[in-house]
Amino acid sequence: MKKIGVISGKGGVGKTSLVASLASIAYKDHDINLIILDCDVDAPNLALILPPKSEEDIVTQDTFTTKKARFLEEKCVNCKQCYDDHFCEFNALNWNESDNIPVIDYLACEGCGACRVLCPEDAFEINPVKSGEIITYETNVGFPLIYGKTKLGSTTSGLLVSEVKQHATDLKEFNDANLIVIDGPPGIGCPVIATVSGLDYIVAITEPTPSGLHDLSRAIEMVNQFNIPFGIVINKADLKSASQKQLNRYIEKAGYEILGRINFDLSIPKAMSYAEPVVDYAPESVASQAINTIYLNLKLILSKL
Amino acid sequence: MLKPKIICVTGGKGGTGKTLVAVNLAIMFKNQGFKVLLIDGDVENPNTFLLLNAKLENKTEVLYFLPKIIEDKCTKCGLCAENCGTHALLHIKNSYPIPISTVCSGCKLCYKICPTNAIEPDLKVIGWTYTASAFNIDLFLGELKPAEARSAVIVNKLMENLEHSIKTEPEKYDIIVLDTAPGAHCDVEALISGADFVIPVTEPTRFGKLDLLRIIELIDLLKKEYKAIVNRSSLLGYKEKFLKELEEKDIEILGDIPLDEEIVSSYCQGIPLMEKSSKFDRNGAGYKSFEIIFENLIKWGDFSK
Repeated sequence: MKKIGVISGKGGVGKTSLVASLASIAYKDHDINLIILDCDVDAPNLALILPPKSEEDIVTQDTFTTKKARFLEEKCVNCKQCYDDHFCEFNALNWNESDNIPVIDYLACEGCGACRVLCPEDAFEINPVKSGEIITYETNVGFPLIYGKTKLGSTTSGLLVSEVKQHATDLKEFNDANLIVIDGPPGIGCPVIATVSGLDYIVAITEPTPSGLHDLSRAIEMVNQFNIPFGIVINKADLKSASQKQLNRYIEKAGYEILGRINFDLSIPKAMSYAEPVVDYAPESVASQAINTIYLNLKLILSKL
Repeated sequence: MLKPKIICVTGGKGGTGKTLVAVNLAIMFKNQGFKVLLIDGDVENPNTFLLLNAKLENKTEVLYFLPKIIEDKCTKCGLCAENCGTHALLHIKNSYPIPISTVCSGCKLCYKICPTNAIEPDLKVIGWTYTASAFNIDLFLGELKPAEARSAVIVNKLMENLEHSIKTEPEKYDIIVLDTAPGAHCDVEALISGADFVIPVTEPTRFGKLDLLRIIELIDLLKKEYKAIVNRSSLLGYKEKFLKELEEKDIEILGDIPLDEEIVSSYCQGIPLMEKSSKFDRNGAGYKSFEIIFENLIKWGDFSK
């Protein structure tokens, strides 16, 4: 079993389009038994290109990875200690002067439980609340897809990512699977760290712009701290940009592996508008050929890991 | 005394042009004689300074709490570990508790409840804030240290700095423009919460639409006013259809920005398209579209100098 993730630092550089195509190629490859995850739980989009074979197969499960404090007015003696002594480091405990009671800012509350433990009258309790959903189904091209979707305002992205990854191991297909491919979130923060944790290999996709390069270098810095091997895909590789040189120099100097370059190709947005992976929509296109090469490179690398 | 008006540029999906819009709106306000502060709240991947070719100054560490066990004072009672909401203290019977930095929420409960004061705050650097000036606008920027997870702390620090600036020098700025990370997580939420006007930037694709609807759900949850901008509107001729779809959902827009080589070129050069001293074509499609957007924005927010 190998687990790989596609991340980018910068958003909108082609993570989801690449993952959908890699998945479609892998499904036709008899060596591979695939499970695919979308861990961009803030904006899960992979399901748009890889819809379910049948709507009836969709399984949705609520998750309760978030905890929130609840104030119990009947126990409160209005001592104001919670507010005056700053029980809450997240500024989620405010004071209502007219009613002389604390007010919890639901969105700011992290559910850490400090108020519950510190209040001498036990006037706070901590409860799990719905933080999002995990959706599972068999895609129209054949393999299972699992994705998470946060409940807005639930402050839980990282935990939900871990839950989605855990969920894969509970699937009946898990025992036969030999590859897990994860579509990651943009950025390099908590949900991305949760995504890359425990992976065998990372695909970092970027574009030759100043921000593409800047964000790639930050993503790599993060990945290196976790000692996970990675390779780079350059999307919109033929873009007219002064950053071309800088990007190539950056990669060459560090000796990083390039898995492939995808030149700008309108087949990609077109394929998306038909809700298909580009390798299926336009198999002969420049983009599809590039992605096929990336797939082969990736397969070779994974076989040596 | 007039409080500065705060505009938040966001988008849900990555790579839709949030930073491009935020930077050019800031520049257009400046062109009209407004005193402008731009805040880059995409602390995972701050890119505004690249588009402004700005030199970052005043690097300031953002420190975050981590418990430090003072062994001389610790009685190994385990109370801290028992009460830690995120299980960030590992306690094995008859041994000192071990802090696990990656899961510590920083709630300081352990520090507050230790009966023998054996826990002291150990501050670690999780990122930095910077200031900069370019093209006569000021910039506050936050940067998460790669492999650290708590980006929200840095976003909150930026908002604290903003609050401090407004308190001490209320006349210093007329307009504050906030640029957010992609997604709909707590960092984005904190910035939208602090704004008077919210501008989600989207693109005419299925992904763009899905993520726009999601970020609007968050904006509604936070009870804020919004108007959207459609970037890359000329992509594959989907503009009319897309605008109609938005209209059907009662989503108002400030305008749309077509694909334009000058935008890419300004982006890569680090000179904002709308900068009055720049040499970009005043009749270019991108330039014209930004003028219309700005006109509509002024009407919407009743911004007057």
